[in-house]
Order: sequence, then structure tokens, then C-alpha cells
Amino acid sequence: MATDAIISWLYATPFSTAIRDMLWVVPTVQTIHIVAIAVIFGSAVISDLRLAGVFARDEPLRGVIRRYYPWMRNALIVLLLTGLIMSIGEPDRVLVNSTFWLKMGLVVAAFALAWWIRYPLLRTAAPATDVRTGSQVKALAWLSIVLWCAVIFCGRWIAYTI
Amino acid sequence: MNIQTIMQALQDTALATFIRESGSAFPTLESVHVIGIALVFGTIAVVDLRLLGVASHRKSALRLIHELLPFTWVAFLVCVITGSLMFISNAITYSENILFWWKMGLLALAGLNMAVFHLGVYRRIDEWDTTLPPPAQARIAGLGSMVLWVGVIALGRWIGFL
Repeated sequence: MATDAIISWLYATPFSTAIRDMLWVVPTVQTIHIVAIAVIFGSAVISDLRLAGVFARDEPLRGVIRRYYPWMRNALIVLLLTGLIMSIGEPDRVLVNSTFWLKMGLVVAAFALAWWIRYPLLRTAAPATDVRTGSQVKALAWLSIVLWCAVIFCGRWIAYTI
Repeated sequence: MNIQTIMQALQDTALATFIRESGSAFPTLESVHVIGIALVFGTIAVVDLRLLGVASHRKSALRLIHELLPFTWVAFLVCVITGSLMFISNAITYSENILFWWKMGLLALAGLNMAVFHLGVYRRIDEWDTTLPPPAQARIAGLGSMVLWVGVIALGRWIGFL
């Protein structure tokens, strides 16, 4: 199968071998991954709770969203890079893992949802009518928190499933 | 009764045995632990950055602390509970893992850092509540907290590799 060939090739590359041979690399990369999870999840929860109307309601919505969105985006970049390093190090355990692909789907869904709710507020001069408000946005903000939790669950379960 | 006997008794309890022998209990605890860490570090980092002089979603440092600290404490409690359950499932192994004790030591230092902040410059917070950058003592507390918590996360990850 083509996937097997790709995995075998990737596994044998010097970069993949180096990640496995230097024993400090994986735990260090995982630590950076968890710190970035904290940044993206903390920022997401704070701004989603503001969107849901349960947190910092006296502060303008736009200000709260704009404070945290760049941190979410930058943390996502760090997460993708550190995740890529871990996948290259153990392609045989990651690329054929159903939980891994479920996680990737959930990451795309969670970030797309987060961005979709926020982008009218991120533009410098969005007309007030363009800003998403109301009960739908509140429900989506809660859904966003649930999705991020599901992403974290899947991340941990990759090591326990095939 | 020495430590080893206590640890043996802990891991012989029905609860510890269940966590050890069930296939899904341990990864579930790990997942909830990571969600807790993300919320602890995510919210603490917002406060620490504010103490370091990075503007947050509101001007008042006092109100920011009051607003975020309940989330931090609830999440920390979740981490303590899930962490304790993981610990008892293999109490002897963890109690013999030096990195586990280093992690506990860093947690104690993070607590000490917080106590010094609260008994010190925090008492005069009305003098610097909206000042950027805050006084040196506050900045040191913020930096110390950030470094210590990253250390806690790193050691937590390394426990599994030793």
C-alpha cells in the first residue's frame, strides 16, 4: 500500500531517525506542544466565554476578541510545527492512527469555527450590522469550547489506539 | 510504617486497582489532566503577562486577577484530583521517580512565589492597578510564575520518559 511505503520512507529519513535517537527531543517537543495547547485553549475559552456573555461583559467584545485571537493563531502554528516533528519521529504510530486523523479533523473544525465567529470583529472597521451576535453565536461559542476539549482528548488517546 | 508500605497500600485500594487495570480510565484521567493544565497555565499566563507589563483585555490588574483566578483554582483542583488518581494507580513507581518529586517541588515554589506576591506588592495594587509597566516586584512575580509553571509542565511530561 502507498501509505506503508510513505511511512517506511519517512521512518528511515535521517530527520526521523534523529528525532528518535536523541532522547530529549520528544519530551521537549511535547512540552512545547502542551504549553501551546494551554495558550490556544486559554485564549479560546476566555474569548468564547466573552462571546457566550458569561465573562468580562463590561468590556467591549471587539477588544477581548482582538486581544486573544493573535495568540490563538500563533499557538496553532507552534502546535502544527511541534505536531509535525512528533509525526515525523513516529510515522508508523501516527499516520495510520484513526484517532490522529479524527483529531486533525476536529482541529480544522475547531479553528475554522473560531475564525468564522471572530473574523467580523477582527476587521478594523466592520459595520456594526456585520458583527455576529445573538443566541446562535452564544451556542457556537460553547460548541467551540467542547471541540477544543475533544481535540485534547484525541491528542492523548493517539498513544492508546491504533 | 515506611513510605513503601503506604504506597503499596495506596495502590492496592480498589480505586487504584480499577484505574490500573481498566484500559480507558488512565488515558481519560490524562486527558482531563491536560485540559486542566491548559486552563491553569492559560489563565495564569494572562495574569503573568499583565504583571510583566503586557496589556490585557482590561486595564485594571486587580479586576483581571479577580476575574481569572476562580478559573485557575477550579482547573488546578481538577489537576490535583486527576493527578492524585493517576499517582495512586502506580504509587510505588511514581514515588520512586525523582522527576515526580522535582515537579512537586516546583509546584511548591510556584505557590511560594504566589504567596510572596500576595503578601507583598499585591497589597499596594491600588497604587499600580492601571500602570504599565507594573513595579519591579510584580514583574518578577509574573516572570517567576511563568518560568515555574513551564517547568511544572516540562517535568510532568518527563516523568513518563524516565
